Amino acid sequence: MTTAYSRRAVLRQIGLGGIAAATVPFASVQHAFAQLDDRPWYYLTDAEARWLAAACDVFIPQDEYPSASQAGVVDFIDLQLGGDYGRGAGLYLQGPFRDGTPSQGYQLQQTPAELIRQGIAGHMGEGQVLFDLDGAARADAVQTLSERDDMLGDVPAATFFTELRSLTNEGYFADPIYLGNTQYAGWRMVGFPGAHAYYLDRVDDHNRPHRQPPMGIAHDPSGRSTLPRLISPEG
Amino acid sequence: MTDRILPKTDVVIVGGGWTGLTAAYELAHAGQRCVVLERGRARHDATHFAGPEEHDELKYAIRYGHMQDIKKETLTFRNNRRQTALPMRKWGSFMPGSGLGGAGIHWNGQLWRPLPSDLEMRSHYEGRYGAGFIPDDLSIQDWGVTYEELEPHLDFFERICGAAGYAGNLQGEARSGGNVFEGARQGDYPNPAMKQPISNTLFGRAASRMGLHPFPMPSANVTQAYENPYGAQLHPCTYCGFCERFGCGYFAKADPIICVYDRIKDHENFEIRFEAQVLRVMKSADGQTATGVAYQDADGADVFQPADTVCLNAFSLWNVHLMLVSGLGEPYDPETRTGVIGRNYSYQTIAAVDAFLEDEIITNPFMGAGALGVVVDDFNGDNFDHAELGFVGGGYIACKQYHGRPISYQPVPAGTATWGLEWKQAVRDNYLHHADMVVHGSSMSTPENYLDLDPTYTDAYGRPLLRMTFNFPQNDRRMSEYVTARAVEIAQSMDHVTSVSSTNLAAPGSDYSIVPYQTTHNVGGAVMGTDPATSAVNRFGQMWDHHNVFVFGACLFPQNLGYNPTGPLMGLAYWTLEHMKTDYLPNPRPLMDS
Repeated sequence: MTTAYSRRAVLRQIGLGGIAAATVPFASVQHAFAQLDDRPWYYLTDAEARWLAAACDVFIPQDEYPSASQAGVVDFIDLQLGGDYGRGAGLYLQGPFRDGTPSQGYQLQQTPAELIRQGIAGHMGEGQVLFDLDGAARADAVQTLSERDDMLGDVPAATFFTELRSLTNEGYFADPIYLGNTQYAGWRMVGFPGAHAYYLDRVDDHNRPHRQPPMGIAHDPSGRSTLPRLISPEG
Repeated sequence: MTDRILPKTDVVIVGGGWTGLTAAYELAHAGQRCVVLERGRARHDATHFAGPEEHDELKYAIRYGHMQDIKKETLTFRNNRRQTALPMRKWGSFMPGSGLGGAGIHWNGQLWRPLPSDLEMRSHYEGRYGAGFIPDDLSIQDWGVTYEELEPHLDFFERICGAAGYAGNLQGEARSGGNVFEGARQGDYPNPAMKQPISNTLFGRAASRMGLHPFPMPSANVTQAYENPYGAQLHPCTYCGFCERFGCGYFAKADPIICVYDRIKDHENFEIRFEAQVLRVMKSADGQTATGVAYQDADGADVFQPADTVCLNAFSLWNVHLMLVSGLGEPYDPETRTGVIGRNYSYQTIAAVDAFLEDEIITNPFMGAGALGVVVDDFNGDNFDHAELGFVGGGYIACKQYHGRPISYQPVPAGTATWGLEWKQAVRDNYLHHADMVVHGSSMSTPENYLDLDPTYTDAYGRPLLRMTFNFPQNDRRMSEYVTARAVEIAQSMDHVTSVSSTNLAAPGSDYSIVPYQTTHNVGGAVMGTDPATSAVNRFGQMWDHHNVFVFGACLFPQNLGYNPTGPLMGLAYWTLEHMKTDYLPNPRPLMDS
């Protein structure tokens, strides 16, 4: 079905059924209202969200812990691109713009939001759409993208790819107030206790596992204050 | 274009960080009316840095929440003069701060002293190894001040910070367990050394077995309740793991706000203005002295603040920029190798060594602190015989546990896939079982590494951007290869190690890159010395060309030593302030003949 503006996207994620079964501590649906998802995206289009879900889940696939999109990474990216970061608050954007050497770093005139939008459009314009591929083909397509040093539409493929990976990683491990790392998926995976940190009596107590459950900035023991939007790869 | 001319003050101070607030404290108490102009905003540890809100890796460590606004001011960069410099469009290799306390609120607190030989770099090496030993392409020189002269000031700053450590050279007596290579210190650290986690402990044991001399990193992360000489109350560090890039809401990391500002802010001779962006130092008609500074205030008005004495206390790079846009001193020209402003910019050579540990070793990396380390100094400075090595300088090797913040702390063994299931599993498997080592090396100055003004790009105020031309000299690449190899040897001999990998950011064949974070230890560009042909300021920090301008900070370093700069530059600050108070202000004049 076409969901021009529906956020009540139906979850037919890669490996549906795997989520509830495999991520026992991270069951996505906690109550009936969680499915009533009509939140608009801040920045992304539906197609961009689905493209990102497909790409991010290649970077961080599901195992005993959620995939990137299951952990809210697409929601995270949406919020980032719709805010100051996406608008280039951290960039000096005065021209002239010239190609530099790798050691001179970022030299595009695009903001991060523009970079991601134009990169996705460039990739989608080249042929098969990432979210239409099966899992193995997606992984191959992302691998191919990672090896490119040419342009992807209006942006350099390598710069786009670097930004995409950074955002995915940030979304999986940043505090859940930014909508990713849902239910502390990333923090539980590595054993990071979070923002409430006082270890004066523990630091030299060597080799003792620290079993304090994660707690974020919002003081939410569940890390679940906002559940990820449900993204259908099929649309 | 000036909207307002203010009444004259005795001293105007550009920048409200460590050196600026300290200058204000000392000079206000000496009867000087001081005005501090701080580009950023007011803030305080209690109201702005408290957890859990401050413990936000994304906001502060990744998005640079405490750093200066790059949209307004940045610099351009190139590796050599044949290239066109392009703007540093996002922070990376280094990240200058802004706001009250400057970068002093988000430092790690690694509080070092220079080695005596560091301060006599050229004469020491020539004396020990012969006149021809120093490579021709280096422009290294003596600082013009000796360790003995600086020692009381280094000591005092350690007391301001409540430094934690264990003296290795107490009044000439070597003490095992401290840094036996350090210069003699008049007293021990004011506070005991930090507790150590298992990772650093294993490193120390391995280094001891190899006959090296490990010791706890000297730390401005305070280890017990402490009152500093200005009356500031500091608290013990909690090992929270949010130190570098973060402010400390525990009052446990010495910073300029709690250690200095709180103790001077109500003094009748002290005034600070926030969101006051200094644009130029103004000169007298004859060009011999400065008359004050022009700045833009919070409302966008152009203001002139006249002053008898001008102190430049901005971050290292911006002090040099301000001198260049103001026409203070003679700009350095790499063609003729004349001029001094912008000359001898240098940096730091950084390599990382990772040791992966057996599962029974649980490091809990999130129990960290900015200066939580065990260090060997056996390969720093001239602590080892350079005769057969073909380079000068060195670096310390530290095993450190700064933090386990999971966006950036993702150690995986060499050869691991960079994404996908294998990577995800490796991140999980290694997060709690990894020891993190750094080789923190010196950086020698050369005639081709320098700062000047960019011909194309401008800042938000219409001034040309600073232009940095820099690459690592061969000397430093050889040094870094050598010391990194020693670090790998230590890592390989640690108990419970399963694999070791290393990354050298100054490796032979690779250009210095402005992208990956290395350190914010940008030094030189307005160096101190005893010869006006090769230094911007004399050995007291006073400009040769304008005697009422005093310059502070790491821009004074003629080349970079193997240590973090805050200790040395604050020693220099107290040295300069002592000479201002006792010698210059009673009788303003050049303190040395040029």
